[in-house]
Formats: sequence, structure tokens, C-alpha cells
Amino acid sequence: MSISLPTYTRREIPLLGRRHRIWAIVVTGLRHEIRRPAAIFAVGVGTAITTIVSIVFVFFVLVGQPLELTFFYTPASNPAMLFFVTLMAAAVGAGLIADDLDSMALTLYLSRPLTSADYLTAKAAILATLTALIAVLPLVITPLLAALLGFSPWDVALEAVGISILLGLLLTVFFTSLALFLSSLTRRRAYAAAAVFAIVFGLLATATILSQTGSLNEPALLYLSPWDDYLAVARAAFGASGGTIDWAPALAILLGITVVAALATWVRMRAVEVVSG
Amino acid sequence: MSAVVEAKGVMKWYGEVLGLNGFTASFNPGITGLVGPNGAGKSTLFKLLIGQLHANGGDLRLLGQDPWNNVELKRKIGYCPESNQLYGWLTGQAFVETLLRLDGMRADDARKTAEESLAFVGLTGAKDRPLRTYSRGMRQRAKLAQALAHAPELLILDEPLSGADPMARVQILRAISDFAKRGGHVIMSTHVLYEVERVTSNIVLIHNGKAIASGDLHAIRALIDEHPHAVRIATSKPRDLAQALTAMEHIVSVEFPAPETLLVRTRKPDAFYRELPEIVVDRNLDVHGLESPDDSLEAVFRYLVG
Repeated sequence: MSISLPTYTRREIPLLGRRHRIWAIVVTGLRHEIRRPAAIFAVGVGTAITTIVSIVFVFFVLVGQPLELTFFYTPASNPAMLFFVTLMAAAVGAGLIADDLDSMALTLYLSRPLTSADYLTAKAAILATLTALIAVLPLVITPLLAALLGFSPWDVALEAVGISILLGLLLTVFFTSLALFLSSLTRRRAYAAAAVFAIVFGLLATATILSQTGSLNEPALLYLSPWDDYLAVARAAFGASGGTIDWAPALAILLGITVVAALATWVRMRAVEVVSG
Repeated sequence: MSAVVEAKGVMKWYGEVLGLNGFTASFNPGITGLVGPNGAGKSTLFKLLIGQLHANGGDLRLLGQDPWNNVELKRKIGYCPESNQLYGWLTGQAFVETLLRLDGMRADDARKTAEESLAFVGLTGAKDRPLRTYSRGMRQRAKLAQALAHAPELLILDEPLSGADPMARVQILRAISDFAKRGGHVIMSTHVLYEVERVTSNIVLIHNGKAIASGDLHAIRALIDEHPHAVRIATSKPRDLAQALTAMEHIVSVEFPAPETLLVRTRKPDAFYRELPEIVVDRNLDVHGLESPDDSLEAVFRYLVG
């Protein structure tokens, strides 16, 4: 039997830097996610519903009323956004590291010249990109549409766009950091996904119930809920009234959790040993 | 050149389970076979070498450096894991290309290099098919292609022939041999001694996390030949294949443990592996996989460790 095969030749090819290697992981990750029905649902339906709900306020609810900056707190506090951002963190973020830990993917990734920080940056970029479609896009579209339709002066709309981007990014980095941390703790995406929902909605329900009159009647308990912290910051940013907690501690809590979760994930990934795969 | 790998008393615990138990060995330039039964610690040693596990004790050097969290060292290594859990939705071409991009290769260079590497392992015709449609042997070759593609100094291959069909075996062994001829170093693990014999005589025997022997494999061949070597063959025509194999004088027994499976025991494994592809081609038989249960090697290890 005769077999003819090409011969092996060593190639010296100039290599690109860190940014390109990270980008390669991001592209692969996004290509993977757009094949998953859960991710498609979270991105597609989440973006559509949050955007539509936000725009509905402009078109139908408040037509004829002058739209001031405070109005744009309404789309920013849209509960649909909370649900779909959480769903995104659970459907996509929960598996980003857990799936790699459970399969050969992490073995292959870490056999290449990548640091833990490179890997995490890429994973964060994947989730943040998709989460921003829900947390940032609708908030930006709403004031722009209001200005285009003449419901709002352009200066107010542009200020609202700026605030919306910052608020959307705050929500995006918080959920990205939280989801990646939980994903790094397990090999099963379902556990991480359940933990995302449990933390976000568990704390929301607990804080809401305990802070009400008739219960502990302690409004400061609302600081426990990331969503209430976000709403406090959003209210202050748009100059809206109401709310019982201050924006500064709320912002500090959100940013603090984001940074601590990111650092904990980085430390964990530096120490992680790929036992299976 | 000094040793490619130097291990002195390397220990690795998984909780209360001991993965490596004071492993001490030197791996010389060229091809070295790391031979041991399943669970001996081969994969653990490889994970330590590629920096994915951290040793609990001892000293481990790969190309003169500590591999744990050593990013620059990874540029010099091509790793082929044993696991078959690939991203099934990726095509062979996209799989190799993606991993080359992780090395920092430009998109056009990665595309061209991936094509060449896949051609080198004989997968050109299947490069645009998703990995989930690949046979086990094709997956092994795809993994070898990604390990070779970035021109590493050292290939670390974890059971590269596991489950590969006869044609894939020839191609994989040829690729490994060719890589080494051009100055590359290879460490390949197997639980089948005869698989490495075709590409090197330099071996390290590992058992229960310890290196129990190293050097020229011919020294232990006599021991091993006393124990018939078992080969499990997956084929759609087990009876036809059995008929052909029983004509070989070194075949001790032939069994049919499952409908499309043949279990053969031979006293001359090297002759068996050499002659099998010819029989398969000449008689137009269909062999989709070869596996060797490690009982024969286990017997030799029991003998060696007393």
C-alpha cells in the first residue's frame, strides 16, 4: 500500500499582538452564541421588547406633552430591561466560562499564548456587547426618536442620550462582571444561570418586602437590591423625583460589586486548574 | 541540546487522589513515548507541562522553564488533547484557523496555514465539514493539525492514535515522524507500546504516577512479547476480517464481543499493525476504529513493579 502525503515545513510568520488574540476569542464566542436558541431569544426578543416598550411611551402615552429630561427616566426604569438583561446574563454569560471549563475549549484556549486577563477580557466583551443591545440601545433610541419626531428639544435629547449611555453601561458592566464570576465558579451553566436569577430577583424581592411599612420598615434595605441601586442612580441622573435611597451609595455599591466580582474572577482564573477535558 | 523536559520528584494531588507520585524523568530531544496504562498519570503530566495544572511539589522544567502560567512558553508548544469534545459546529478549517488566530496570526496567514496543516494530516477533502460530522480518527487528525500549525518546537500529544482507523494511524504517525525529522521534539502518550515503536525507540514508562523505566524500548520488548497483545477492531464485516486475520500465524485468538466488533490477540503486535492496513485494502473491508485494551501492558507493568 502506498500513501502519498505532503511534508511538514516550519513557517516563521510574524505574530500580531494581544488585541488581535482577544478579538479572535470574541469572534468565536459571538459565532457560537448566535447559533444557540436561548441566546438568540435573549438578544432578539430582549432588544425588541425593551426598545418597543420604551418607544411606546413616546408615541402613545405622552404624545403632546413636553418631554423634559426627567421623562427619560421612564424608559430607563423599564422592568422589561431588568428581566432581559438578567436573562441575557443567565442565557449567555452563565455559560461563557462554565462551558469552557466543562469541555476541551478551555484546554485549547489556555494552550495558546493567552493570559487569564486576555481570556476574561474577551469573555467580558462577548457578554457586554450582547447585554448593551438591551441595556444601552433602547435608551439611546428613545430620546433620538423623541427629538426626530419633535417631542423633545435636541439639547435635552442629546443630554438624555449621554446619560442613557452611561446608565446602560453601568448596568452592562455590573451584569457582565456578576455573570462571569458566577460562571467561573462552576462547570454547569445551569447552576450559574440559576444563581444570576436568584441573586438579582431574590435580592429585589427581599429588599422590597423588608423595606416596606408593616415589615422592617427600613428603606436602607433597598441598597441590597442591584436594581434599586440602579434606579436610584438613574433617578438622580435624569433629575427625577421619588425613591428612598441616595444615588451615591447606590452607585458605590454597584461599582464595588462590579470591581470585586471582576477581580475575584481574575484571581480564580489564574488559579484554575483544568482537570478534565 | 539539554533535555526537553526535566522532572524531579513531581507531585500532583487531586484532593486526596494522587495524580503524580514523585515523577522523575528526563525527556530527550526528538520523539519520546510516554507509555502507561489508563490512569497512570500521563494526562496529568501533560497538563502540568502545558501549564494547566500546578505541581504540588518537585521541580518541572519544559525547555528549561517553569511551565505554570508561562504564556511565552506556550508559543513553543503544540498540544493535542485526548478529549474529543470539540466545538462541533466549527468546520475543520475554522477550528484550526481560530486557534491560529489565538496565536496572533493574521487572518489570511491563519487561513493559508490552516489549509496547509489540514492537508498535512490528510484532511483537505473534509476541511469544510463541521467537526461533529468527523469520525474519531478525523478528529484526532484535526487536533493534530491545530497542534502543528503554528510551527511549535515541541508537540505534546495525548493519546493521538486513540480510536483512529488504520489510514488515520498511518497519517498521524507519518506526520509526527516528519515533524521530528525537521528538528521538532515530540512527547506522545499512549497505553499501547507498539504505537510509539513505529516512530521512536525512546520511551518513558509511567505507572501509578511514577516513572518506572526509561530509555530504549527494545530492552523491555522481550518482556512484553510474552504477553499476547489485545486489539479491539470496529468493523462492519467482522467475520470477513476474522477470516483474514486467522491466517496470520501470530494471531492467538479472535473473539466477537459485540455485533460489529472483533477482539484479536496477537503475539506479534508490530507485525499485526504493519499487515492490517494491507489486508483491509486488499479485501475491501471497512475498519472504523482500533483500540487496544491495556490489559497486556498492565501485565508487563505488574511484572516491572513487582
